[in-house]
Amino acid sequence: MTDAPAGDPPGSGPGRWRVTRRRLLIGAGATFGSLLVGAPLAIEYGRPTLAEWMLERGTGPAEIPESSLVWFELTGAGITLHVPKIEMGQGIHTALAQVAAEELRVRPDQLTVVQADAGRGFPLAAMFTFGSTSVASLYTPIREAAATVHAMLAIEAARQLGVDPASLTAVDARFLVTGTQRQLAYTDVISAHTGPWQEPAEQPALRPAGEFTSIGSSAPRVDIRAKLLGEAVYGYDARVPGMSYGAFAVPPRFGAELLSAAPGDAAGMPGVQQVVIDVPAGFAGVVADTRTRAWAAVAALQLRWSEGTRVGDRELEQQVTAGAGVVLRRDGSIRGALGQGRIVEAEYRTPLAAHAHLEPLAALAAVEPGPAGKVEVWVPTQSPESVTKDLHAAFGEDRAVVVHVTLLGGSFGRKGGQHLGVEAARLSAAAGRPVHVGWTRETDLRQAFYRPPTHTRMRGSVGPDGRIRGVEQRSAAGDIIWAVAGLPEPVRSLIGFDPGGLLGLFLPYDLPAYRLVNRREQLPVPTGPWRGLGLMPNTFALESFLDELAEAAGADPLAFRLAHLSDSSDDGRRLRGVLQTAARMARWDEPLPAGRGRGIACSGDVGTVVAMVAEVDLSGGRLRVTGVDVAVDCGLVVNPAGAKLQAQGSVVMGLSSTLCERLRVHDGQVVSDNFDTYPILEMADTPPIRVAFVGGGQTPHGMGEPVVGPVPAAVANAVRAAGGPRLRSLPLRP
Amino acid sequence: MRLLVNGRQHTVEHADEPLVWVLRDELGLIGTRYGCGIGACGCCTVLLAGEPVRSCQLTAAEVGDRPVVTLEGLAERGADGTVTLHPVQQAFVENPLQCGWCLPGHVLTAVALLARDPDPDEAAIAEAARPNLCRCGGYNTIKAAVARAAELAREP
Repeated sequence: MTDAPAGDPPGSGPGRWRVTRRRLLIGAGATFGSLLVGAPLAIEYGRPTLAEWMLERGTGPAEIPESSLVWFELTGAGITLHVPKIEMGQGIHTALAQVAAEELRVRPDQLTVVQADAGRGFPLAAMFTFGSTSVASLYTPIREAAATVHAMLAIEAARQLGVDPASLTAVDARFLVTGTQRQLAYTDVISAHTGPWQEPAEQPALRPAGEFTSIGSSAPRVDIRAKLLGEAVYGYDARVPGMSYGAFAVPPRFGAELLSAAPGDAAGMPGVQQVVIDVPAGFAGVVADTRTRAWAAVAALQLRWSEGTRVGDRELEQQVTAGAGVVLRRDGSIRGALGQGRIVEAEYRTPLAAHAHLEPLAALAAVEPGPAGKVEVWVPTQSPESVTKDLHAAFGEDRAVVVHVTLLGGSFGRKGGQHLGVEAARLSAAAGRPVHVGWTRETDLRQAFYRPPTHTRMRGSVGPDGRIRGVEQRSAAGDIIWAVAGLPEPVRSLIGFDPGGLLGLFLPYDLPAYRLVNRREQLPVPTGPWRGLGLMPNTFALESFLDELAEAAGADPLAFRLAHLSDSSDDGRRLRGVLQTAARMARWDEPLPAGRGRGIACSGDVGTVVAMVAEVDLSGGRLRVTGVDVAVDCGLVVNPAGAKLQAQGSVVMGLSSTLCERLRVHDGQVVSDNFDTYPILEMADTPPIRVAFVGGGQTPHGMGEPVVGPVPAAVANAVRAAGGPRLRSLPLRP
Repeated sequence: MRLLVNGRQHTVEHADEPLVWVLRDELGLIGTRYGCGIGACGCCTVLLAGEPVRSCQLTAAEVGDRPVVTLEGLAERGADGTVTLHPVQQAFVENPLQCGWCLPGHVLTAVALLARDPDPDEAAIAEAARPNLCRCGGYNTIKAAVARAAELAREP
């Protein structure tokens, strides 16, 4: 189970805490022989929660030097790793177990991995899971903490065995005494231990990469068995005894606000236990004995809404128009560059799109009675801290709030701020019983925030020598980060660009002149982070345009890219590496029959660079993607099998955006609100996707998002290479 | 009414509700997932008399006395607490998916497919899985898992 149940720590919590020289928090548990070790990251904002939890129990020093983000809990039953980062399918719990196992000298399957739980004092801020950073940010802290835990166990084992610690080796959670048959299991060391744990005199050396037995191997996923047995608990599955089902009214159009509400026929409908109306809070909902009865009753409420917007998708997309904006790059003389050579101009568009995670939003809440009653929620969220803030805003800053994170059935950015905990808690508080709220697919797609539309105008020139003289790029996108960050609009306007829109925005090539103007739009429909933020829409424009420049230069698209990548920069060398690998995998130089073609594209994000070749077939009268070859340089690969799934999954999501997805908005509401009207890619249209990891390195970079970047451009370039038209807007319609 | 699920008789209160909610909310069999409510995503797939059906598309009453198998009913559970995975489950341990919300539908679809076609080719696997969606994009892994399950099922 990766889902940590609520409750107290084993025994009655750590009996005593002290801070070590290396700023690890070590607590000798009240449970005999147990040990808790927390590893710090240099993030201060997690401190108060942990300090309060420890002081409340009278267990700790008044001063906590660092937040404790990763916890090893050692008992006679084994070692548990509490991972602060949240599992939504990325496989990070498995990868981080491998990292810990390496230094602990155990097999990953000898660790129990659980989601760190705020109910046990883990700092909320550390749990925010975003931006493909989990493995990269925890790789070294977990190794260092695990190495210290291992050294402490070794010192204690040596004492119990009456030997020198230097004579011990360890494998599979057992110490072996060199030159003898004697051995001692970790669990026995922990069980037989008394008195304080002794720390090593100095930070233990980390294992050299050449000796890795766990990092770099494809370990089985730690959560797959529970998921296959129906035991894994997602947000939609959260249950407590005595629970009812809730539903709440949602606006019929974007921007509409609740003006008045009355129970109407809802109160008398079968199974309805409570109608809850709070117009000042914009809230009207029902509690019933079954989910479908709650859904039926909420539809019977008498509600009046303000009009809201009546905008449609075409209008929204037109509102995002590249033009004047903030100048983000001004290299060389663009006027001079575009006054010579062959001029190429093109504009590209991407539409509104949904995350369409298969588990719709859901939350369970149990609010204790009375104005001071504890508010406890179980929520599938990437950010339990924002859920906590929302609950405090709704119920008062003084209320005790506990947010438990469940497994997430997909997210892709959507479950960053997840407000259903608040609505479930409102219903629970009013009904005096725990209430679960789960959205229908229709509500989930209508009430989301979306990947914003983008528009990019490109203008470039190519000289007779086949080299790019200069590029002028004007980009526009709906808000991404600003749409969800709590900055006032004047500040956002002053900054002028959205930080999320910067991902994938810059051409990585050597250009004598480059001018980049960017513009943000605040749209009347909610927009926000979608896997990779600006990466995929921006890369679609840039890497399509690179091919248009290559065509104007009469050059091979691969050779053209390689000729414009700098060898003096690390990024240039790494992009060159992945481009050449992907081309080799796809047999770039071998000709294809008429109607078929290959396209190449590349991008970089969160320290990872990616190139891919897509192969398409237009001969059947429709666009079929027949294969994708992907080369990724993400630094050190902790779990090749897991990283490959992330890469293939990113390609499939990218292909879905390339071939299928456009959110339809009419009269201020989403009309493509289920998979019949908002189709996503199916198995039958998924080509073979080959993945190679190149580069390597000492530490890992992100793998959650980067591979989605080049997909649409690679396909559009392949369509052109197959003799099809140059397609400049998503989804591609040849 | 009575409902036969995973070889056990259950008493069900809300026979007029879609089967997916009766299984999940009344019987606590959360391995059947809701995804769309219109039979378009396959997450709620269960076996009804051995055939894959979308449990959001029929009520418990419409099931009648036909046996229902959910994800929870596949593994063999010994009296001593040992759990022996079904070959299809074992194949998915070796070829895991990511978030796992769609996983039960793919597993049960594969169980039904292999019962009538012990050696399906790729096209047959994709046809059986239409439309079982996977937003994490594990379609190639699913194909590999079903092919592996066919292999495991043939092993003595």
